[in-house]
Amino acid sequence: MNFEISKRGNPLFSRIHPFLAEMIKGVAEDPWEEYPEGSSRLLPPPGTDEELLTDWADHVQPDLHRRFDEDRSQVAQDIGTMRSGRGKSPVWLLEIPIAHVDAWLTTLNALRLAIVTEHGFGEQELAHKTSPDLSTFHGIALLKVNFYAFLQECLIQGLESRESESCNQDSD
Amino acid sequence: MAKPDLLESPGTKLSESFDLPWMVVVHNDPVNLMSYVSMVFRRVFGWSRERSEQHMMEVHTKGRSVVWSGGREKAELYVQQLHAFLLLATLEKPPH
Repeated sequence: MNFEISKRGNPLFSRIHPFLAEMIKGVAEDPWEEYPEGSSRLLPPPGTDEELLTDWADHVQPDLHRRFDEDRSQVAQDIGTMRSGRGKSPVWLLEIPIAHVDAWLTTLNALRLAIVTEHGFGEQELAHKTSPDLSTFHGIALLKVNFYAFLQECLIQGLESRESESCNQDSD
Repeated sequence: MAKPDLLESPGTKLSESFDLPWMVVVHNDPVNLMSYVSMVFRRVFGWSRERSEQHMMEVHTKGRSVVWSGGREKAELYVQQLHAFLLLATLEKPPH
């Protein structure tokens, strides 16, 4: 899989292997449904003050939940535009409009957090100090967490390259 | 180590000034990428890359970083914004 910025200035993943394309399609899955225990991490308490906790549960958390769902819906739409080539071993192409990158970053982050919490991954496993056992759901989940982190890194790099370009243009 | 900002608004309400300052604390989380945390700090607080990375490293190495302190209302808003980016942030009163 390759990553670059397209001529239109959008992050572009190309030559995506069908296996990875399936994993990308999984980004739009609902963490609250797929990882009911892990998704508790997505709406953490803001502290210990009772009044604040109540206020947060009543107003802030429902709003955050709604915003995460909107972002995920945006990501699902982008995934719907992912297209494959023809032939014996087709590869896939995904161009993400730059305006949607924030939604992708949030959605990828939410999914990674929910998976990690659900599976109880520790720092050792996350730091790549152990090889995932791909014959287990636990190992596949770790593979997903790492692959989604890679996508996040690419998107952040894409955003930063645009920011530095814009700074260079401003200083010209 | 970078010190937290202090709210210096001359327009601070009287009621708010009595309970100053509240601290916004970001806690370490092995999942959030370092580049992501740094980007979030730049977005939310409008900091330079260097300052964002200092706080990100403080979170990473010390387990937490006080990223802002001041009036409660604004502190709550910052915590809410940090939660929107899925960072582990809390609102705390400094120990007496």
